[in-house]
This record gives sequence, C-alpha cells and structure tokens, in this order.
Amino acid sequence: MEQNIILNINDHDYLVKVEPDEVLVDVLRFKVGLTGTKKGCGTGDCGACTVILDGRIVDSCLILAVSVEGKKIITIEGLEKKGKLHPIQQAFLDHGAVQCGYCTPGLILATKALLDVNPHPAEGEIRIGISGNLCRCTGYTKIIEAVKAAGELLDRGAQ
Amino acid sequence: MTRESNLGISAPRIDGYIKVTGRAKYITDLSRPGMLYGKILFSDRPHARIIHIDTSAAQSMPGVHAVITSTDTPNILYGLYLRDRLIFAKGKVRHIGEPIAAVAAESENIALQALQKIQVTYEDLPAVFDPFEALKPDAPIIHPDVESYQGIYPFIKYGNVCMDAEVNHGDIVKGFAEADVIVEGTYHTSAIHQSSIEPHACLAEFDHWHRLTVWTGTQQLTLCHQELASALGLPMTKVRVIPAWLGGGFGGKLKSLFEQICALLAIKSDRPVKIELTREEEFICTHARGPQTIYIKTGAKKDGTLVAREVRVVADMGGYSDHALGMATHAITFASGVYAIPNVRGHALAVYTNNPDWGCMRGYGGSEITFAGESQLDLLAEKLSIDPADLRLKNLYKDGDTFITTQKMDCVNIHDTMQAALQTSGYRKKKGQLAPNHGIGIANSILNTGFLSSSVVLRANPDGTVSLLTSVTDLGTGNLTALCQIVAEALGLPFDKIGVASQDSDSSPYDTGSIASRTVFDAGNAIILAAVDIIHQLIKLAALAFECDEEDVIYEEGAAFRKSQPEIVRSFAELVSDALFVSGGPLIGRGATLANPPHKHEIGRGFAERPAGTFTFATHVAEVYVDPETGSVCVTNYTAAHDVGKVINTDGIEGQVEGGVIQGLGWALYEELVYPQGKIINPNFVDYKIPTALDTPPIIDIFIEKPALRGPFGAKGMSEPPMVPPMAAISNAIFDACGAHVQTIPINLERLYNALHPGNKSD
Repeated sequence: MEQNIILNINDHDYLVKVEPDEVLVDVLRFKVGLTGTKKGCGTGDCGACTVILDGRIVDSCLILAVSVEGKKIITIEGLEKKGKLHPIQQAFLDHGAVQCGYCTPGLILATKALLDVNPHPAEGEIRIGISGNLCRCTGYTKIIEAVKAAGELLDRGAQ
Repeated sequence: MTRESNLGISAPRIDGYIKVTGRAKYITDLSRPGMLYGKILFSDRPHARIIHIDTSAAQSMPGVHAVITSTDTPNILYGLYLRDRLIFAKGKVRHIGEPIAAVAAESENIALQALQKIQVTYEDLPAVFDPFEALKPDAPIIHPDVESYQGIYPFIKYGNVCMDAEVNHGDIVKGFAEADVIVEGTYHTSAIHQSSIEPHACLAEFDHWHRLTVWTGTQQLTLCHQELASALGLPMTKVRVIPAWLGGGFGGKLKSLFEQICALLAIKSDRPVKIELTREEEFICTHARGPQTIYIKTGAKKDGTLVAREVRVVADMGGYSDHALGMATHAITFASGVYAIPNVRGHALAVYTNNPDWGCMRGYGGSEITFAGESQLDLLAEKLSIDPADLRLKNLYKDGDTFITTQKMDCVNIHDTMQAALQTSGYRKKKGQLAPNHGIGIANSILNTGFLSSSVVLRANPDGTVSLLTSVTDLGTGNLTALCQIVAEALGLPFDKIGVASQDSDSSPYDTGSIASRTVFDAGNAIILAAVDIIHQLIKLAALAFECDEEDVIYEEGAAFRKSQPEIVRSFAELVSDALFVSGGPLIGRGATLANPPHKHEIGRGFAERPAGTFTFATHVAEVYVDPETGSVCVTNYTAAHDVGKVINTDGIEGQVEGGVIQGLGWALYEELVYPQGKIINPNFVDYKIPTALDTPPIIDIFIEKPALRGPFGAKGMSEPPMVPPMAAISNAIFDACGAHVQTIPINLERLYNALHPGNKSD
C-alpha cells in the first residue's frame, strides 16, 4: 500500500507517495523527477545510481525509499549552486572525464564522498574510491586526473 | 587578425555541462502521459517448434492493454546483410533470447506477471551450439529457407552457412612453396558484450499528426528509421524516430533492435509504450559480439620476408546473421594485417547455430584477425630468431601497395606509428632485459575509415550562428563536438557560434550513422561541402552589397571584403541578414558524400567489400607481469601510437584511445560470455566483469598527424582503432614474460594457468 513519506533531497523536503517495496532510484527518477541519477543494472553492480546518503555513497537501486526518511540525500542535481558548477563538476569537464555521461553523476558523487573525508587522496585511494562505479567509455584515466584536479580546486577554495 | 584554430584543441564538449549536472536526457529518462510499460517474452529454448501460444490469460489481466505475437506483425523478413529475421519468432525459435511475444501494461510488475501467463507450447528440436558441428552434413538445419533469403549481396548459402566467401590476392600455393618457414595455428576469440552502462530503451507513441513516433538511443538514426518502417510495412513518412543522448553504444545500438516491438505495442494499445531492458536482458538478447575461430598459416623467407598467408574464419552467427556476418567479411579483408604479403587467401564461413543472436562491436572483425595474425607473428619471429619488432618493420605496407581488395593504398603511416611506439615505450631497451615474469609485446593494426553516406545541412542564422543538421548521434565519443569544430573551421567562425539542431528523422538529413569510425571523416567531409556551398552564396551577397564583381570578393575568417579595398568588410552575420532581407533568400548550405563507391569488379568469391575511404594504422606496446603460480596477469605499462591524420579534439581523441585500450584489456584478460547449450549464464556485472578503476595501467597516447588525403582537414576516424591491437599486444607480452602462447582470448587465469602447467589442461 502506498504511503506518504518526506525525503530530504539536496536540502529540500519532498512529500512523495511510495510503495513499501519501491527503491530509491525509481522514486528519485520518476516520482521526484530528478532523472540525473541513472539506473544501469538495478543490482548494485554498476554504480550509476550512486547518491550520497548522510555523507556516504550508496547504490540507490538497493535502498528502499521508505527506509531513508529523515536522512540527507544528495543527488547530482544538488551540486551546482546558483548557476556555478561544483569544482568536481568543473574538473570533470576540464579534464575530458565525460564521454557518454551515463556513469558521470555517480562518479561525481563518489568523488565528492571521497574528497569530503579525504581531501588529498593518493592515486590508489582514488582508484579504490571510484572502483564501485563502472565506466565503459573512458578507461578511467581522465576520470582519475579529474579527481586529482578537483582535490586541488577544492583546496584553493573554489567553493 | 589571426583567429585561433578550432582544431587540435580541447574544445569543450557541447554536451559537457548537461552531463555533469545530470540535465542530459537519455531515453531511459523519458516518460509520457498515459505511458504503458512494455515487456518482451524471450524464448528459453535454443531450438524448438512453437506448437501454440496462448495469450488469453495475459490478455484478460486487469491493467494489460496489449499482448502481441507474430500474428500481430506484418510477415516481412528484414535484416541488414541478409533478410533472415521476423519481429517475433514464427513457427519455431532458433535461440534462447528470441522474442516470442510482448505485453504492454500499466506497470512493469503487471507486465511481468502477464508475461508469466503466456503459455507457449514447444516441441524441442535437435540443437547445435558449435559452428563446426553445424557444418557437418547431419547437423540440424536452423534456417531451411536460407537459400531463398535476400541480402545486400547474393551470398553463397547452403545448409547452416549463410555466407561462404573468399578473397584472393596473388597465389598462395606458389607463395607457400617459396617459404622457408611456415607457422600455422587456430585462434579463438570469445563472445563479449558491449556493456554500455545505459541499457537499451525505447518509447513509442503517435504524434499530433498520428504518425508513429519512436524515441530511441540509436547509433544509426537514418537506418533505424528505414529498418523500422520496413519491418512494419509502413512508408518512412509515417514513421518518425527521435534520438536522445546515448549512454554508450560500441556497436550494441545499431539501427533497430526492439523499436519494432515497442511500436507495435503502441499501435495495438493506442497508448505510449516504453520498453527498458534490465541488465540481464541486456546480456541475453542485445546482439553481443559473436565469437570467431580463425585458422591462420603464414610463410616467410629465412630473412623474415613474409611470402604467403592463408586465413580461414568460421564465425558463429547464433540464430540469425546480422553484423556477425559483416565481422566475418572484415576478418578476411584484413587477413594480411599491415603487411605487404604478396600471396594471401582469406576464406570466411558465417554459420548459423542455436547460440544467442550475435552482433558486432568496436573493432568489427579487425580485432579478431589482428589477435590471430599478430600473435602468430611472434611465434614466427621466434622460429626465425628475429626480434618481433624487426620482423614487422621488414614487411610493412607502404604507399602505393595494393590491398587485398585491390585498392591502391595511400596515407600508409604504419612505419611512423611503429617507430614512435618503439621509441616511447623503450621497447628496444626493455626487450629481453626485463625482470623474470615480466614481458613486453607489440602489435600493429589497420582499420578502414570512411564508409558509405553522409549528408548535412548548415543553416546560417541572422545572429551569426550556424545550426548543424545531422543524423549523426553521439554515443559518448564527442563526435558532435568535433563536427561543430569542423563547421567552425570551415566557415572561419568561432566554435561557440556553432550548434547542433534537434535531431529527428523528419528533418535530420540521411547519414549512415555513428559506426565504423566514420562520422568525423564522412560527416566532416559533408560539412566541408556544405560550408563551401554557403561561402559561394556569401561571396555573391557580398558582391551585391559592395557593388563589385564576385572575383573582387574574398571570404575568410568569418567576413567578406573587397580585394581592391580591404577596408570594405561585411561580417558573416551581416551577410546572413542581407540574404534574409535584401536578396537571395535564407542561407542554407548542403553537403553530401558517398565515401566509397563499390569496386567495379568481383574481388573474390561470394563476397563484396567496398574500398575503404582511407586506412588508419596503429601500433601498441604492452608490458605485463605474469604471476607464474596463478597465471594472473597485470598490465603494467601501455603505449598506443595512432595514425590519426589530424587531431580535431585533443581530449576527445585521447579519451577514445584510453577507453578503447581498456575495453581491449578486458577482452584480453577476462571478459567472456559463457553460454553452455546456448544459454548465457553470466548475464550480470558480477559474473561478467568489465574493467574497473583498479584495473587500468598508465597509458601513453601518441598521435601521428600526417594529413590524410580525402579526410576533412586531413583527419582520419579514430573511435574503433584503439580496440584493435590490445588483445595481441597483451598476448605477445604474456608470451614474452612466460613463454605461454595462449590462442584463445580472454587469456584468463584458467587458460594461462593451464598453459603454464601442462597436464592440468582442461580448455
């Protein structure tokens, strides 16, 4: 049976009606209308549906929407502020880290969660930090460059 | 004033901002009011007669609006190389994953429940899963009507063979007679999946003119439109196809796939219908790259001169032919690799089996034959006691040589890619000097670029901007950004003045599409013609405005001026306004190309291959460490040198190389679909692993820029070539590291362990 819940997404409260078995990715995409979060496998293997939940990355295809009431959810739509790209978004653009773009929102959020707790990751830590996010286009080289550059941009207080 | 060039720079991707902010819309993101969810019932039998399909229980379920089977479809055979398929199985199923029926319902759950209520009564038929078994006289025949099938060429067909083709160059009998050393062997390339992160999806409804409209992520907008209309028996004017951003393609989103089914559900239910595949369905029924078995025999003189090569390819089609057939023709076209071997024979059999309906992927037959040929050269080098690099250098094609298809070759830059890769990788210093269990391997490759037709329209806008109308879709490669750079350069305008018009089969001009590394080359050439068309008109307009002869007008850098009075200038934007309001009429440029008209004569038997627009070459050098205990391989360094003609977009071309190399690394070492009895048993990213950020070596990209004849601003195509040599380069590095010559890719743990520990052999 559908029930009303309040989801805090990108610092806004949304009142949504969900089925108890609905997963967060579907609710974000088609009930809230935030289609920036992608669905690539539905089984937690590809990371396209990555969102940040209370500071940690999760595969939103494995999370029941009813279970995250009262938690803070950050999606890709929450990063750009007042028309200014988040430094991670800017770094992905500047370093050619985007090709088809389907994995990009998840990778940008995985990067944010990593840099939030580890502002100066070594390359190995970057690789581990994004290893749950599959990208079939880039071969990761430019993504890793972008993550390094984003760390430097954030250091310089770009935002 | 000199303008900065629009080429050879990292021009910002036109889709960059929308992709990093999550604003870019893919088909999976779309929905329509009243939309239903479509699900397809796939065959779970590899070969069976369909006795009866009972859909009554599904039809009567609340929330179900349409159930369709072959009886609801026009009975029209379609297909690209060979028209051998229907929308739904009729009479019998030929592989697991063949569509049998489909349902449109108010929710995905209802649709799934309805699928379960469809009763299919089968009578199993003897099935065959090995193409060599399928060639035997007593094999079950999968397509009894094969000889009547029509195709793009009158292929030689019989039994389970839907193409028997041969190409000859010189005289291989004489060639092998002259050889001092001969090596022969059989190589096998496993089936792999394109694995775009975006699953296939499409959405169909009737538009406000009651025309069938289909939104779909396709690499080939025009061909999707054409094939969809043809399969439905509708004129192209009654069907409209609209693409969105593609979340990857790699050969997995060619022309049409399930658009026909989606459209039929929309017709029957009179509601919008969306089909989105699950990841499991992606693996099982979306035309993964088919496997090939390649027998190859090469003869050489003692001094290393290659004198003869024979290649025999057996390509498994699965239940239907499609692009697996095209990949077989490519494997024999590139039989001689990058080497001027005077005597070559290539023979290909495209064979139906009851395996999944295979398709193609990046590298299209070229990767397969390159793995076989380049791996074998290292065996030959060892036999001849010649360094593998020197053996290669001795035999390279050069300008003026005749390719196996009789085409005279030009812009042959393989010598340059080899020298650059050898030098940058430090091959000469490292070869034979590396620590135990470390190895270094080299592989060369050739691929065609420039293929079939492109047309574009350039629409000049009164604000001085230009809209590019094209059917070329961007799978992620950045080709639309590169095409905008070419428009800007051709018209002498800044890059930010160029935009791509909304794409729609109603208005976007004909294009063969984003396949075969062709769009920068072919659509780029069409753009140059369209720009010249516009410039001619601008000169006329300027002559009228200046009240002078056209000969006295020069157009450059976005403005026209009088030769005799250079201070008299009209800008591009002013001239476009002149056209609108003073004379001439709105300014439109048109460009159309056909890259490669067919050969005028037969080039073999049962076979047709167009000449290439041009060829592109590459040399890769891989370094590996092999764990002798386990057979696990770590690629430690990688150098990729490519003959690109001219770099259009720096970030874009580097991204193509890095992505292609890593896809090749995945295939070289672990990617493989496993399908005992025709059933894919690893249809997910846990059991079918693609490379992650933990698996990638440092890659050095090298671009040889020697302007290509016939290429736009000298550019060659560059999306597929990086996935052609990696399997051979890595295989040769493994051979160098541990002496194991594994003839099947992927060279996974089990295969390499068995090669290192003979006696345990199970493969």
